Amino acid sequence: MSLLNDQVKQQVRERFSERLSGPVQLKLYLRPGSGRLILPSGLGCPTCEEARELAQDLQEAAPELISLEVIDVTVQDSDVTELPTLTLAFPGEEPRIRWQGLPAGYEFATVVDAIERVSSGEHGLSEATVGRLAELTEPLEVMVFATPT
Amino acid sequence: MSLANRMTLASPQITAISVEATEFPDLAQRFGVQGVPRTVVNRQGAFVGALPEQQFVSSVLGLAGVNGQPEAVEAEEARQVDRSNSSPLEETSQAD
Repeated sequence: MSLLNDQVKQQVRERFSERLSGPVQLKLYLRPGSGRLILPSGLGCPTCEEARELAQDLQEAAPELISLEVIDVTVQDSDVTELPTLTLAFPGEEPRIRWQGLPAGYEFATVVDAIERVSSGEHGLSEATVGRLAELTEPLEVMVFATPT
Repeated sequence: MSLANRMTLASPQITAISVEATEFPDLAQRFGVQGVPRTVVNRQGAFVGALPEQQFVSSVLGLAGVNGQPEAVEAEEARQVDRSNSSPLEETSQAD
C-alpha cells in the first residue's frame, strides 16, 4: 500500500506541473527484501520498501523531469551504509542533498520542496545569506535530525 | 525545504543530510539527539531548534568556525518545534 493517498498524489502532480522547470535526479539506496526480517541493528531495513514506493510516486508525478535510480546495495558497490538513503541532485552532479531513513510526514514536504527548488535552481535565500555562504572555502556538512511528526 | 537543503543550492561546499532519528538510534545517540530538529555541523557542534534563516546560518557558520556568531547557538538551544498538528505540504516554507 502506498504511503500517499490519491489526493496527496494529485496535489504533488499539480505542484510539480507548476513549479518544475528543469530535470532532477533521485537516487534511492536500499536493501530489498529485508523489511520483515529481524536482524541486528544496521543490517535490516524496515522502511526500504516504503521508501521505494514513495520515490516511485514522486517520479511518476513528473516523469518527464524526474529520473529515479534505485541502487540495491547488496548487488551494486556503494559506500552508503544507512538505508534507505534518498539523494537529490541536478542530473550528472554529485548529490549534496540526502535523506537517511524514510522521508515521511514533515520530511516528505521537505523532499517535495527540495525537488522543486533544485529543478528551478531557486534557493530563496536572502542576499546577505548568499554573500556569507559565498565565503566558504572548505566543505561543510549540515546534518539535521528529525522525526516523522 | 529545509534551510540546510536550500544552502546547498547557494554554495557548492555544503552538503545537507536529513536523518530520521528513530530509524537510526545509534546515529542519534552518537550525536546526542534528545530533541528535534537537532542540527549537527561537521559532525561536531550542534544546536536544537527551528531558527529563522539569519540565525540558522549564523549558528551553522559559527559552529564551523566561519564568520558566524557562536553565541547565537546557545541562546536558541532550548527551542523546540511541535509539528504534530500540521499538514506536511503546508509547511515547506518553515524555517529549519
